[in-house]
Amino acid sequence: MLRRGEAVSTLTVVARLRDAGIFVALAATVLLFSVQATNFATVDNWQDIATDVAMVVTVAVGETMVVLTRNIDLSVGSVVGLTAYISSNTLAHHHGVPIPAIALLAVAVGAACGVGNGLLVTVGRIPAIIATLATLSIYRGVLFEVTHGENVLASQLPQGFLDLAAKTPAGLPSLAWMALGVAIVGAVLLRWAPWARDLYVIGSNPDAARLAGVRVGTRVMTAFAVSGALAGLGGFMFAARFASVDAVAGRGFEFDVVTAVVIGGVNVFGGSGSVLGATLGALLVATINNGFTLLRISEFWKIFFEGTAIVVAVTVDALFKQRLQQALRRRRRAEMIAAHRSATT
Amino acid sequence: MNVAARVALRLVARWEALLVALIVGGGVWSWTLSDFFLRWANLLDLATPYVFIGLLALGLTFVVVAGEIDISVASTMAVSAVCCAQVWQAGVHVWLAAVVGLAVATALGLVNGVLVGVLDLPSLAVTLGTLAAFRGLAYVILGGGSVAGLPGGFTKLGGGYVASELPVALLVLIGFAVLLGVLLHATRFGRYVYTIGSNREVARFSGMPVARTRVTIFVLSGFTAGVAAIVYLGFFGSVQADAASGSELIDVVTAVVLGGVDIFGGSGTMLGVLLALVLIAVLRNGMQLANLGGATQDIVIGGLLLGAILAGNVARATRGRRLRRRRAQASWKEVTQPADQARVPVATTIDSEQGG
Repeated sequence: MLRRGEAVSTLTVVARLRDAGIFVALAATVLLFSVQATNFATVDNWQDIATDVAMVVTVAVGETMVVLTRNIDLSVGSVVGLTAYISSNTLAHHHGVPIPAIALLAVAVGAACGVGNGLLVTVGRIPAIIATLATLSIYRGVLFEVTHGENVLASQLPQGFLDLAAKTPAGLPSLAWMALGVAIVGAVLLRWAPWARDLYVIGSNPDAARLAGVRVGTRVMTAFAVSGALAGLGGFMFAARFASVDAVAGRGFEFDVVTAVVIGGVNVFGGSGSVLGATLGALLVATINNGFTLLRISEFWKIFFEGTAIVVAVTVDALFKQRLQQALRRRRRAEMIAAHRSATT
Repeated sequence: MNVAARVALRLVARWEALLVALIVGGGVWSWTLSDFFLRWANLLDLATPYVFIGLLALGLTFVVVAGEIDISVASTMAVSAVCCAQVWQAGVHVWLAAVVGLAVATALGLVNGVLVGVLDLPSLAVTLGTLAAFRGLAYVILGGGSVAGLPGGFTKLGGGYVASELPVALLVLIGFAVLLGVLLHATRFGRYVYTIGSNREVARFSGMPVARTRVTIFVLSGFTAGVAAIVYLGFFGSVQADAASGSELIDVVTAVVLGGVDIFGGSGTMLGVLLALVLIAVLRNGMQLANLGGATQDIVIGGLLLGAILAGNVARATRGRRLRRRRAQASWKEVTQPADQARVPVATTIDSEQGG
């Protein structure tokens, strides 16, 4: 049993190294930009980053749950666009609707989109990447149908809603407070809630999870529903932040989210990762995007950087995992030899 | 049932026959919308805007049959087209620039191939990353501008006509379909691809060059993306860094899956993919005739993609159930008729063993 404990501690050390690595990268980036860009280390700019990162973190918590089960949700960008439009359009036509009700509406629409993804993956047995690639296109198509090519303007929205994103209670933008709440709830659930622990089990070995009596279909379904619901909340935040929403809102946002999740150490092979990692990943992505803008580096480099970051993170994770498995195998072999020797002598 | 009827049934029950029926149905629908539809020139020109999508689908077919996925093909094509255009603009001869474009596309395919085949990373994560990275590369190379005015001799390949009616692009597509069809269906390499897609462990234990084959399919996918880039440049006559960044990728994947290629690998035909491409062309053309916008078209094509996989899954489940039932019947027969024939050989072996 002692030996097994050692193996687990190796795992935790690797996991901590991974989290520490992203932390160091974040610190280095902040330092670099503080030196290079004069207006980087200002309160205003950090509040900007906090608002930017709020949306990514909110959606990334849901994406983390999906990726933990060895699936992926590429449709989040379209869901953000769809729910952002629905939120602002409803408010533009019915000024009296309370804002929390609008947020609930966005979450509900997002959850419905997520349930659609979940059904395709669990009942339809379609690989998640293909299913959500198709729904990425379908949900965006629905958004175009809904908008009829029109967009909601800031002038149509009630003042209370426009003020929402500008408020900074206790020095932090209100959207960042919302994201912080989502991240804390997500982290607590993934640490202690039995159904959320099942997500790790499923991702580590779906077949073993099924044989162990885990309700794999229901859990994967839940993960997709949560991812959709949080993308809906992200859409509400998008509407609050940008006020003016059109049919291309949130296009490409899925890459921000997937990059944050993957470089945050959530393993694309499923089974390992944390909300803290994803949050750090989102911070890194938002900081680098912000720094690029301040340094007047073309935004074209951003997408190149994100794609490369995904590939590098996946490669590093895979190599880590291979090394770890080799080490475990070597130790197990040594154990067996030792046991054999003690049995024969 | 006699043999002829059985052969006929097997032909009719094929996926390709269903596609042909759907194409005819789509054609009749288009014909009711516009009398011009059935004109010879229109029919020939129907697929021309989708030839580059078809070429991408042909390359992707190898990847999907081998049980992998490459969603970076559209971005690879964009990088290739952008490189070709930039090199030409720098004063290099246009055909030499085309060769550079092909080489770049092949190299990008090799990047995917090494990451998946050699480092053994999951292709969906790798190509999701390179989908973004390559697109970024296209922007980095060309920026926000565009290149236009490529010479006529070059653009003929994508937008020209033979005898004023037959599109050159269609000939390119059919030529490549035949070439790649032979490679997939009639060579040792093709058999490797199917075996790896069915069961990679079996392929390895059979001594097949698994890693090399898996690298090759991605290189092949990159190369066909380079060819698609040449056709794209010819058809549109200009290129921007955001080339084929919209619904094109969905069309490519739909063509492959709707063509009957199993998304989990191991089966599919080049003919099916080609027919599925024609079906997509007919449907998009028909929807344009019916005044349906791009958004509606994207919803329909996305639905078609999901429907095709669902249909394949249902078919597989039914086949599995039938197989299990047949096996159950066979074993039931064995139980109910404790055939002397079945017991005898066992007895004799034991006897002979005892005798020996």
